[in-house]
Amino acid sequence: MQASDAKKLAASPYLLVEDWVSIGVRLAGQVGIVIAKTFYYLLRLQIDWQESIRQAYFIGVKSFLIVSLTALFTGLAMSLQIAIQLVQFGGESAIGGVVSLALIRQIGPITAAIIVAGRVGSSIAAELTTMNVSEQIDALKVMRIDPIKFLVVPRFVGAMMMMPVLSIYAMFIGIFAGMVIALVYADVSFGVFLDSAKAMVIDQDFFVHFLKAFINAAIVIFYSCAIGLNTRGGAADVGNAVTRSVVWSMTVMFIVNYIVTDLTYEGPR
Amino acid sequence: MTSQPIPPSSLPSFSKASEPMIKVEGLRKSFNGREVLKGISFEVFPGEMLAIIGPSGCGKSTLLKLITGLLEPDAGKITLNSEQIGLVFQGSALLNSLTVRENLALALRERKLPKREQDKAIMEDLTLVGLADYIDSFPTQLSGGQQKRTSFARAIVNDPQIILYDEPTTGLDPVMSTVIEDYMIELEKQLHAAGIVVTHQFSTWTRTAHRAILLNQGVVVWEGKPHEALNSTNPYIIQFAKATREGPMLAGKV
Ligand SMILES: Nc1ncnc2c1ncn2[C@@H]1O[C@H](COP(=O)(O)OP(=O)(O)O)[C@@H](O)[C@H]1O
Ligand SMILES: [Mg+2]
Repeated sequence: MQASDAKKLAASPYLLVEDWVSIGVRLAGQVGIVIAKTFYYLLRLQIDWQESIRQAYFIGVKSFLIVSLTALFTGLAMSLQIAIQLVQFGGESAIGGVVSLALIRQIGPITAAIIVAGRVGSSIAAELTTMNVSEQIDALKVMRIDPIKFLVVPRFVGAMMMMPVLSIYAMFIGIFAGMVIALVYADVSFGVFLDSAKAMVIDQDFFVHFLKAFINAAIVIFYSCAIGLNTRGGAADVGNAVTRSVVWSMTVMFIVNYIVTDLTYEGPR
Repeated sequence: MTSQPIPPSSLPSFSKASEPMIKVEGLRKSFNGREVLKGISFEVFPGEMLAIIGPSGCGKSTLLKLITGLLEPDAGKITLNSEQIGLVFQGSALLNSLTVRENLALALRERKLPKREQDKAIMEDLTLVGLADYIDSFPTQLSGGQQKRTSFARAIVNDPQIILYDEPTTGLDPVMSTVIEDYMIELEKQLHAAGIVVTHQFSTWTRTAHRAILLNQGVVVWEGKPHEALNSTNPYIIQFAKATREGPMLAGKV
């Protein structure tokens, strides 16, 4: 929180909330424009595939190691919690199903997305803001090159290619962590764990998994690009833009994640 | 100031018989309620170079951004007789993620030339600014003067009918300034484009321009030929050209 924010908060908490709401609404408008223009080019298949693949590669390389670690430890912690609870009710045999479901529908996509927001979204916001501040974006416009087509579309396509891969990968690492926990703490063999998972997981769960992966990728790319393309000023604004892109894309992602979860919930199993 | 204004006869001549290439009428622009440009009008003819001079912050870059369409005017009219515009930015504004070759190719993208012709145009252009050896370098590997020359090359690779320079020599050493000014004069000869050079550097506007207008507080306060500036009776141009404290121009809110 900045000093000016602290002063406002002391004067009236409502003022600060009002500020955030008005900033959020303006940003949503900027994001809306970026989305509309991106789809304009996507629908006309005006896509630089070579650059898109290069962006997908960057996203993968930047995120791979840290997704491995976070998925592993989130999987361990969550499985431990579930295993302890289920053992109390004599439900050891359900551990595999419950853990897998949670990883496929919730933890896999959100873990991968948080890392991508922190690692990739931040670097996109920094890169685009720097380009804006140093008039590289203006230079593109003078050459009649739309920055959306040139910069946003390949990043979006790249993220769309990479995010499902990262989410699935996070899910597998998490499930592996769950199998180890189930074996060590609940004496559930790998076979029993996987049988339970197979019995409980249905195709619809993978649909939710990919849906969330795509939506999260879109949120990170569109927010970080919109912030980068709309931040002017000096070098100091670059840091600011990075912070804002991470905070906003994560906040929006968590909210949308809940909405998608609710809309795709098809009753107890 | 040791640079002598070169006599106007050594700049390529132009004619006012044709339509002006750039016509600006009653241009106004405000930022956050403060009016930076308060009704600016001028014309530039093919082959002519107009210098727009004035103190820092008087709205020179804003004027160029209005002409290139990067900003929208609040009032007034801009008529350009060509769509082919080259702008040399105040910073060089090269794309740092691309090589010199790729930066220039970007400017040629619209034209969809065959690869061979594109490479030829890029090579010719880089040879003109003496950077043929740096075709595959990245902008960050170049010196300030080399970056400036690359951004020159980018602006002219499309053979523009209109070329705009935003402080092309500011921040360069005197020798490099002279080199850049010589390129500008050379380009005037080769392109015969209508040009505007925004600058506050004495040698630049006296050496490269046929005509100059002086902006102060959002209005034009003097207009004339550069070599007439020092003999003028206009107090604004006398103060600006001689760089003195005494005169009608405020030193600004420094
Ligand atoms: N996008 C902008 N938003 C707000 N103020 C601006 C913007 N661009 C320029 N200004 C202001 O307009 C004035 C003129 O700026 P500029 O055209 O860059 O001056 P110059 O190029 O003559 O030094 C300055 O006071 C500057 O702060
Ligand atoms: Mg300027």
